[in-house]
Amino acid sequence: MAASGPGPVFQSQDIPGEPKKTSTVVLEKTAGLLQSFKPIASIHAHLCAFHFYAYDLGRQVEAHHFCTHMSEDVHQCLIFDTPKKDARLIGIEYIVTEKVFLSLPEDEKRLWHSHEYEVKSGVLFMPGLPSVAEKAQMKHLAKTYGKVFHFWQIDKGDTIPLGLPQLMMALTADGQLNPQLGKDVEERFHISFAENRKQRADLEGPDKGIHPSANPWLQGKGLVPEVLEVECVRNAADSSQTSSEL
Amino acid sequence: MCFARLNTSNKAQEVATHTQHTHTHAQMACTVEEMDSEQKVVGESVPLKTSLLERGAKALQSLTPIHNFQQHVCTWAKYSHDMKRAIETHHYVTRLNEDFLQCAVFDSDGTNARLLGVEYIISYKIFSALPEEERKLWHSHLYEIKHGLWINPGVPEALQRSELEKLAGTYGKFWCTWQSDRGDKIPLGLPVLMMSPQESSPGLISEEAIRARDKRYDVSSTYLAQTRADIDVGLGAVHPSADHWKKNGKGFVIELKEVDMVKGSM
Repeated sequence: MAASGPGPVFQSQDIPGEPKKTSTVVLEKTAGLLQSFKPIASIHAHLCAFHFYAYDLGRQVEAHHFCTHMSEDVHQCLIFDTPKKDARLIGIEYIVTEKVFLSLPEDEKRLWHSHEYEVKSGVLFMPGLPSVAEKAQMKHLAKTYGKVFHFWQIDKGDTIPLGLPQLMMALTADGQLNPQLGKDVEERFHISFAENRKQRADLEGPDKGIHPSANPWLQGKGLVPEVLEVECVRNAADSSQTSSEL
Repeated sequence: MCFARLNTSNKAQEVATHTQHTHTHAQMACTVEEMDSEQKVVGESVPLKTSLLERGAKALQSLTPIHNFQQHVCTWAKYSHDMKRAIETHHYVTRLNEDFLQCAVFDSDGTNARLLGVEYIISYKIFSALPEEERKLWHSHLYEIKHGLWINPGVPEALQRSELEKLAGTYGKFWCTWQSDRGDKIPLGLPVLMMSPQESSPGLISEEAIRARDKRYDVSSTYLAQTRADIDVGLGAVHPSADHWKKNGKGFVIELKEVDMVKGSM
């Protein structure tokens, strides 16, 4: 199946290399029992949604988010390509409330996307949770903004993560989601976006409306990453300028 | 108040989730987080009511990929564009096959650890087959493993040895998305490329930082370096294409170029 087709086509043997030996598995389990995994235990939610590359709406990726609620205003999420055991870790998303988003410099705002449409349309969902159980989290999410980077372009067929981090964006209106991809997800997870939409009809987006600096692609501006070589050691004067570069 | 309760109930949940954990001496040592009460993330603590709702929802979901993190590794990384800055990192590692691993990287080992980025780890076999432009983005692991900087807290060295021998010959690509060391209370900017500790400046890690980390986990990097001195990755030296800064003193920054948005073949 073409890499651009709907649904995960990946088999774990697609990643180059030898399968794990039994001895590796046994040692891993034994050693793992002796360790603490607190940052991982803090992860409390699985969300499924769709991302596309910040320069190409046609390249859409099913994204499984595993999220931690850091504070009232911030979530951090690991993004995998499937919710299965051998899932590939393909990216990271941070989610902030409207209050935090509005406090960001303009240059920073353009890296972020709104969540109102994904939530209200029902295409963002929490696998395994009945609507009533996810409602409170959806209500919160509808008003938030996210910043996503993908490091592994699985839709291109890359068998390992090559190249540069890709800024991603999220859906903002009907007619954007690849219908085949959407249908495939509905079938695999036994859900109905239309049903979700009905359940969420009363939810609202950001109080001040979606900020015009978010979702820059809506103005036709695609954002492609480039890499530049710089001196690896900065002098004292340069160090203080680090944050303004970004 | 809420914060303290959140920590306690998270701890109970963590014990429930990982019921087979044996609490070793290293685990009983104070975590980085407990020692430092400075607020690290913008915003108030999650209210207890929200936290309980989330906990209830969590019980209904199967977070399978998360249960596949098998190792906790503590080491350091340096910013490729500013190698005077080093960060202590906590990698939570999944090995997908004998040649490939993926890591979620945090700034501490505690419940409220900030997610700093992602590192991918590949064997020499895969690395040497990459195009040169790609190899420039990767760093070697031999130095930090052989010199005892890279540890698996809580795991006896003998048990970890065979894995360390494999990892010593690997290469990593680490994108950092939250520069918490410069005080950012939310993740700002674009991802930055990180490099690994190396034997010469600017790749060195300060003695002070190593001593503090060693004390916290009750380990000795010096002792570990002695026991690991005979680790041999077979191919001799590290691949010359890794650790790009050693060639020309250059690191990398990512920028975004504006292009016309492709609205797709919808």
